[in-house]
Amino acid sequence: MKLSYFTLSVALRHLRYGVGQSLLTIGVVAISVLLIVYLRTTIGGSQVRIVQNVAGAIPHIIVEPAERTPIGAWNLPGNAPDTLFVGEASSLPRAQDKIEDWKQWVEAFGKDPQFTVVSPVVAGNVFLFRGARRQAVRMAAVVPEIHDAIVDIEVDLLEGNFKRLPPGEVAIGFKLARKFGIRLRDKLRLVGPGDRTLTVTVGGIYSTGAGALDDDQLFLNLRDGQSLLELGSAISLIGLRIDDLFQAEAVATALRSRVPFKVRSWITDNPSVFFTIDSQNQTINLVLISTIIAAGFGIASVLILSVTTKFREIGILKAMGATPPEIQTIFVIEGFLLAVVGCLVGIPAGIALLKALASIRVPGPDGRIRELFLIEIDPGLLAFAAGVAITVGVIAAFFPARRAAKIDPMSVIRGS
Amino acid sequence: MADTRTPVIELAGIGKTYVSGDVQTPVLFDVGFRIYPGEFVAIVGGSGSGKTTLLNIMGLLDRPSTGKVMVEGREVSNLDEQGRAEVRRDRLGFIFQFHYLLPEFTVIENALMPCRMKGPKYEAAEEPRMRALLDLVGLGEKLRNRPSQLSGGQQQRVAVVRSLANNPALVLADEPTGNLDSRSGRIVFDLMKSLSRESGIAFVMVTHDDDFALEADRVIRIRDGRIESPGTPRPAPAEAT
Repeated sequence: MKLSYFTLSVALRHLRYGVGQSLLTIGVVAISVLLIVYLRTTIGGSQVRIVQNVAGAIPHIIVEPAERTPIGAWNLPGNAPDTLFVGEASSLPRAQDKIEDWKQWVEAFGKDPQFTVVSPVVAGNVFLFRGARRQAVRMAAVVPEIHDAIVDIEVDLLEGNFKRLPPGEVAIGFKLARKFGIRLRDKLRLVGPGDRTLTVTVGGIYSTGAGALDDDQLFLNLRDGQSLLELGSAISLIGLRIDDLFQAEAVATALRSRVPFKVRSWITDNPSVFFTIDSQNQTINLVLISTIIAAGFGIASVLILSVTTKFREIGILKAMGATPPEIQTIFVIEGFLLAVVGCLVGIPAGIALLKALASIRVPGPDGRIRELFLIEIDPGLLAFAAGVAITVGVIAAFFPARRAAKIDPMSVIRGS
Repeated sequence: MADTRTPVIELAGIGKTYVSGDVQTPVLFDVGFRIYPGEFVAIVGGSGSGKTTLLNIMGLLDRPSTGKVMVEGREVSNLDEQGRAEVRRDRLGFIFQFHYLLPEFTVIENALMPCRMKGPKYEAAEEPRMRALLDLVGLGEKLRNRPSQLSGGQQQRVAVVRSLANNPALVLADEPTGNLDSRSGRIVFDLMKSLSRESGIAFVMVTHDDDFALEADRVIRIRDGRIESPGTPRPAPAEAT
């Protein structure tokens, strides 16, 4: 390869002179890039939405008390004082269903950059009483400002507050509210497992679109939950969020060896969802690989045609002293430029399409207007799409370029 | 009396045999001669006599099976492909039967193409000379035209000017008038001859046309791969009187 004024100027002129063919190839590359950006973003968005809807707005990783109380291996008979682990002990007493020293753990997880949200939670089932009616509901007592980064309810509020929900107030789903005829500021009575009663005010009504959250879930402040479940200052679990929710199981596995708790990820809790998404991803990847290969063939076919039609000119250039690496470079530059310009067209087109899709809002079954597509434009994906297209463009150009470099000037001179 | 000048090209004991599978086809046998600066040499011979093979070996486009090729006193027959390309780029010019101008480039850009290979500074430095040469051959008004807008004779004149772009020591022309009508052929031939006279660049032209051959300074006759008559080198200018 030899990038020079000569090779660059000849490559540029070839592309400009065959502008029709160049534009067609650029179009193929642009469509491929657009497809990568569009499919990955929209399908990725719908996958996140599926996970949210099926699994509820849940932490990616849940850290909760172990089923058995961990006991220091050094305390077991026959072990040296510095023994850390000897195997599984199964006949130990049941652990208490709470984490006492949660503040230290929340602080420790908070220092770990892979966790984007660390939320202490008191979780359990309680009875909701409204007049003579009652229903068992799932309760999550949280620090609303922190936990909103997990459940994202503030944006789904129909009325009231979530992030600034004060003690003594609850946020409930609109379906639960409708079922009981509850309105904002109404009083409700909650009864815990130990018949502990708490009267609360409805401070927020939300509609997330996730059935489990809207139908039988309520949120209240951490201290109210601790009181209702008689946990004192302890909590039930710590919820963690990470950047890539599909990495949850890998992160959970790594965490298991570091903490004396049971650690589970949303993936192990919802294996069918994960497998559905995984198979969907494989299918999309196959489509995308096929698309990009088709773009590569497009570039290769244009350059093969170019090498064939410019056979004589290439021979004359070689006779005049152009070296094989220079001839090869001319065609590799052409493939590279076709791919780069294809990206320069395809990526802005992809972004424009995604922005247009993101602005589409339609009424949902609950009557609320929502975005039809969950779109989050990822600069990393754009860079990936461009990188793939340019790499494929250069590889596709390489073979016609090598063919051009091998043209024997004598065969041109002989007129064959 | 021995000629003390350094020949622009010297061939010694050149043999060429093409091998295809088990079949060996000898084409040239013990060919040797010297071409001196400013000479206008015609190589003539019948079809299949080996004259084009000889020209290709002189132009470092083909390798001899035996013998040596020296360009300005330097042996070049043992160079690799890169080295041969560099010698072609720096010291040799080519004119072919078919002009093969690059259709994407204008007349002046085509003429400057060998300079472009050497870099933008070299190209810029040579542009005035090439403009003057194109003007001299009657194409001064067509510098910005594409080759497709020129006649065959005009295109071949551009190819002749292009062969001089890199200030070569030797221009090799393979049937440069073979594809032109007689009037255009005459114009191109006269042009080559006058450029050779004015520039001191040696021209070697393979031709079928006896009329043109007779007007050359020297005629090398080749028959069945052997030099029948090497001609007499034109004397150095000091000896010419």
